[in-house]
Amino acid sequence: MVAEIPPSSIEAAFVLEALQKGVRVDGRGLYDYRALRISCGPALGMVEVQLGQTRVLARVSCEVTRPAPERPTEGIVLFSCELGSLAAPGLDNGPRASAQEVSVSRMVERIIRQSRAIDTEALCIMAGEQVWTVRIDLHFLDHAGNLVDAAAVAAIAALRHFRRPDVTVDGETAIIHDPRDRNPVPLSIHHTPVCVSFAFLGANGQLVVLDPALLEEQTQTAAFTVTLNAHREICALNKAGGVPLDAEQIGRCTQVAVTKAEELIDAINKALVQ
Amino acid sequence: MSRPDRREHGQIRALNCVLGQLSRTDGSAQFSSGSTSLLCGVYGPIEARLFEEKIDRAHVDVRLRPDIGLPTTKDKWAESAVRKTFERNILSHLHPRTLIQINLQVKEGDGGVDAAAINATSLALVDAGIPLKTMVAAACCAVRADGEIVADPTEEEARDALSIHTFAFSSTSPDDNPVYVDSRGSFTMEQYDKCYDLCAMTVQRILAFMRTAIEGK
Repeated sequence: MVAEIPPSSIEAAFVLEALQKGVRVDGRGLYDYRALRISCGPALGMVEVQLGQTRVLARVSCEVTRPAPERPTEGIVLFSCELGSLAAPGLDNGPRASAQEVSVSRMVERIIRQSRAIDTEALCIMAGEQVWTVRIDLHFLDHAGNLVDAAAVAAIAALRHFRRPDVTVDGETAIIHDPRDRNPVPLSIHHTPVCVSFAFLGANGQLVVLDPALLEEQTQTAAFTVTLNAHREICALNKAGGVPLDAEQIGRCTQVAVTKAEELIDAINKALVQ
Repeated sequence: MSRPDRREHGQIRALNCVLGQLSRTDGSAQFSSGSTSLLCGVYGPIEARLFEEKIDRAHVDVRLRPDIGLPTTKDKWAESAVRKTFERNILSHLHPRTLIQINLQVKEGDGGVDAAAINATSLALVDAGIPLKTMVAAACCAVRADGEIVADPTEEEARDALSIHTFAFSSTSPDDNPVYVDSRGSFTMEQYDKCYDLCAMTVQRILAFMRTAIEGK
């Protein structure tokens, strides 16, 4: 398998030099997102997101299962995120997940699970006996930089697009209606968290760009992701490793992220209405 | 008895394909037959791992990922269907000691996934410029409980069918033997022959569709 070839020193130097003059290689502004396209359907819970050339497909499905013994009144949310060999050459080389796959997977899972976006209590059918298990499968189709933001948009849009079969509980029995008999119902989603990612380039991380493209991501020295929702609440901050960053820089990026998150959420709302 | 989506017995679902959508792969194709949709991305010829390297030909590796859930034996079977179809068809002796990696992603699966996988791979290999002997296309048909033979069954029709047959033919001549045959269930030789003829006809239409798609690239 071809190992991922890092960019040549000429390319890396070019990116830095251009940024020092305030110019990005693809001509964007420092805080501009690439073109975002969200296509929902045709299947319920199926969303494909294109952020520039980066493509992610999300599929949501559900089935009835027994609840976890320690949480008898809550449904289960399963998450599967695969960065396979389709997305870029040199990926998926062994049985264990690569470091990148784990980090992207954990970040997106965190925003869905820990930000409590899905109401798991609403997934309960009969306490202690039957609950819904909602499964989110994320497939990365094309890795052209900034997988996290695209994946987060895909995951939350797919969850909002999905409809589960309607259920009526009659005393001791639960009747699960076929989608053809009764319209399926949406999941109970509290809020729409999205991720906004920044890359810092240069020896001290002094140059910052929003939504890094592949070349920028490969030459970054630090990365920072903010997870926000429409109510301007910060759900998560993530800066793992990389060069130390100025606290003021982080503050400025978070301010920019608030506006950008609103744009992303607007795009999701528009796509879901269609 | 009419079909759930009111198609004729010999009617296949609407075909659609988009070539060259992905930016990292050497070639890619998205092929859909109604609500069964697959994306295929091909890397090749690229460096092979030492233990896979063959001194006189390219190694062909196929990976298929389902739309929902983790890969199961059904997906492994589809991988082997694609690999067996194309191992002989790719002119691998032109690229010794390299790897041709075929990656398939099921976007939506509603019956006829194996056939759609072969079709998507065929288009993606052409998009990647991998030298092939011929174009290959596949079609699927099912024998229903009432004995009727239907082309391009949906998942629901396939579940209730007595037998399902997938055939892949090459583009050189319709009299050629099939490149790939997969028949499962219980059926008579007469039913098999009817399925063979139906699929051979369907494959010619799919090949014509592929030709238009490639020429319009």
